[in-house]
Amino acid sequence: MLAAAGALLTGCGGGSGSTRLVVSAAASMTEALNACAPQFEKAEHASVKQSFAGSDVLAAQIRQGARVDVYAAANTKLPDQLHADGLIGTPLRFATNELVLAVPKGSTIRTIDDVARPGTKLVIGSATVPIGSYTRQTLAKLPAAKEKAILANVRSDEPDVKGIVGKLTQGAADAGFVYVTDVRAANGRLTAIRLPARLEPRVTYGAAVVTKAKQPALARRYVDGLDKGDCASALRSAGFGPAP
Amino acid sequence: MRRGGWFGIVLALCLALALTFLTVPVAAIFAHSTPRDLVSTLGDRSSLDALWLSLRTTAVSMAIILAVGTPAAYLLATRSFRGKALVVTLVELPLVLPPAVAGIALLAAVGPSGILGGAVDAAGIELSFTTAGVVVALTFVSSPFYVRQAMAAFAAVDRSLLDASRTLGASEARGFLRVVIPVALPGLASGAALALGRALGEFGATLMFAGSFRGVTQTVPLAIYDRFSTDFDAALALSAVLVAVSAAILLAVKLVQGGAALGGWQAE
Amino acid sequence: MLSVETRTAVGALRLEVELTVEPGECLALAGPSGAGKTSVLRVAAGLLRPAEGRVRANGETWLDTAKGLDVPAERRRCGYVFQDYALFPHLSAWQNVAYALRGLGRRERRGRALELLERLGLGDRAEARPASLSGGERQRVALARAVARDPDVLLLDEPLSALDARTRAAAARELAEVLRGTESPSLLVTHDFGEAAQLGNRVGIIDAGRIVQEGTPSELAAAPRSAFVADFTGAVVLTGTARPGNDGLTHVGLDGGGEVASVDRGDGPVAVSVYPWEIAIEPAGEPRHGSAQNRLGVEVLSVTAIGNRVRLGLAGPQPLAAEVTQAAADALGLRPGANVTASWKAAATRLVAR
Repeated sequence: MLAAAGALLTGCGGGSGSTRLVVSAAASMTEALNACAPQFEKAEHASVKQSFAGSDVLAAQIRQGARVDVYAAANTKLPDQLHADGLIGTPLRFATNELVLAVPKGSTIRTIDDVARPGTKLVIGSATVPIGSYTRQTLAKLPAAKEKAILANVRSDEPDVKGIVGKLTQGAADAGFVYVTDVRAANGRLTAIRLPARLEPRVTYGAAVVTKAKQPALARRYVDGLDKGDCASALRSAGFGPAP
Repeated sequence: MRRGGWFGIVLALCLALALTFLTVPVAAIFAHSTPRDLVSTLGDRSSLDALWLSLRTTAVSMAIILAVGTPAAYLLATRSFRGKALVVTLVELPLVLPPAVAGIALLAAVGPSGILGGAVDAAGIELSFTTAGVVVALTFVSSPFYVRQAMAAFAAVDRSLLDASRTLGASEARGFLRVVIPVALPGLASGAALALGRALGEFGATLMFAGSFRGVTQTVPLAIYDRFSTDFDAALALSAVLVAVSAAILLAVKLVQGGAALGGWQAE
Repeated sequence: MLSVETRTAVGALRLEVELTVEPGECLALAGPSGAGKTSVLRVAAGLLRPAEGRVRANGETWLDTAKGLDVPAERRRCGYVFQDYALFPHLSAWQNVAYALRGLGRRERRGRALELLERLGLGDRAEARPASLSGGERQRVALARAVARDPDVLLLDEPLSALDARTRAAAARELAEVLRGTESPSLLVTHDFGEAAQLGNRVGIIDAGRIVQEGTPSELAAAPRSAFVADFTGAVVLTGTARPGNDGLTHVGLDGGGEVASVDRGDGPVAVSVYPWEIAIEPAGEPRHGSAQNRLGVEVLSVTAIGNRVRLGLAGPQPLAAEVTQAAADALGLRPGANVTASWKAAATRLVAR
């Protein structure tokens, strides 16, 4: 009976049951990577298990010894820190993204100034998750009074970008700072308001093979595939920019 | 078979396994935190905010659950009516819903785009991003725990006691307060403990329904998740404080049960 | 005065009862389990609403289904002693007794409760909880609780059945005293005719939802109207076929053999009843002497001592029971297996049609 339970726990997923790749990826890549995983599985005769969450939480899990093969984050800071601590290999910069101000379709909000108006319900990421730190970086570039007014309208510090998207599509929030790829993934329910170039942060995604990976060779091929391969195409289709 | 033969050994082994599985993670929390960490956690403003928020929202939630759930459970335990089985299932349903599903359910009901969202809005009630929203989420996920236990406790009360109370001149309402509740108290207390534990630990539905903002909606579980990525030790320390608070509450409930059993309840 | 009239179905039982109890009187309803006795009490108390019924107590109408009147149980001034006492487990003895005393200060309620408990010999157990009281003590607390607020009507459901035999005798004497001392009409139900006879001024035999006979205990024992009543009141009941004889007596051929005579008239299938204490025992084989007409050869099956008497289980063509003094039993050497003759008078033999 224990053997059966064990088989149940490990045997799910597509592809061949024997080789399994475990990937921790930033929440913003959910739709794109779910789209390209089956192709990877077929090509490699392996199964891929992908977990999506805030890049900071995924990094903390790896620090705590989580057995993952690949780490793909929405910034370069977190991978660089992990690399400095010897937990992952040299990070590969494989994609870029754009920070936008998202509003529900049909909203009267047009510019970033509009979200400084009192009473606006704004949702951003928490300080430690990439989307949240990019947002705070951007707001810091505004005049102090405006930054303060906008931050005063923040009603939730979500742990990952999909939480922000959820609050927007629910209709609970008036505006939120997300990636342009998230607006695309929302299938028309959200409108993206692009930010002035001078405010726009450099959003670069980094990925690497985890040092203690069980499938290092397979992991390497996955990471490379994020830059040039099926997954790279999927990311492009979703609106991610190419590697810098 | 001798008593304490191989069957007894299997029982003991299973208990040892269960005990280890349950206590080691809890012990590990305290193993990592020094008393200094715990104290400094308590001194950290945002941790205190989270603790205070958790206690407030749980207390309000429990008050609602007890006030509304107790009479409801009594009705379900003592009367039969058409469709009763369905009603009982509906009441118990949130019990088996994963927290995320509970969050979705709440959104679909009273969220801004929910079926009752318009009515809630028209009434001037704000639930998203508010402490009230947290209370709604906690009440939704925890009430079945209490109502179920309360139903069992009321059903176990000897019917002749209520009959006796009526023949002695007390209306059914008075009999409920002076006889049924005191006699059912141990069962009610354990139901309350379960509900309270569930409320204190609620995460997913709260995050989805009310969001996470310090002092307003970021309860201890959400604060732990927030800290986990950057300051694991702070997360541990906050967890330790929550465990200690939960243990204290559980102990208090046990004392109430013990007191009631020993007859400490005075009906004056 | 209490009057209860009801016609209703309780589960599979069809209950049809009409009774009246005068002030100061106790009517004991005796019958087998399932006869509907408790249901009658519950109708009187307002705990069971019958399809049709009328309950009047102390000049007030508590129930009249025809007029749609149903005073809720909590507004009827009944004292109800439940079969398992239904004492509130979380309250002490005096708090149980004082439960019904509302509108008085705490000190006064306690005082009244203590007074009642003392009268029943439980003064020193006033603070104890029901769990630490003995069966007999609990019964007395239940009784005190029922009478605490001077109810208009006293209802007792098998008040002694939960007690062991030894406690029962003392409790029965005590209860009889309480019942005698109260002005309220009392309605008591029991499955034991002896208990009914001891506690009730009048006894009603209830079977399958109906009162089949009502009267004083001795009336019922002396003139049972049916085999059931005769059996229930403790008589020996034999079955047989009767035919009038030329000597003015009725002769009954017993099923299984033997013949007895009775002064009662009867014809065809009958039940013959006689009381155990009317049956005398003689050593077997002795010729008839004395006026007793009825003689049957029997074997002693069991010998049970009851105080200074002995109850003999006898096996004849049909089973019989006889009661003789201990002294007589010793003198005759009555032991299981002994063959003896059971004899009794035709005048003590009752016949009822079957």
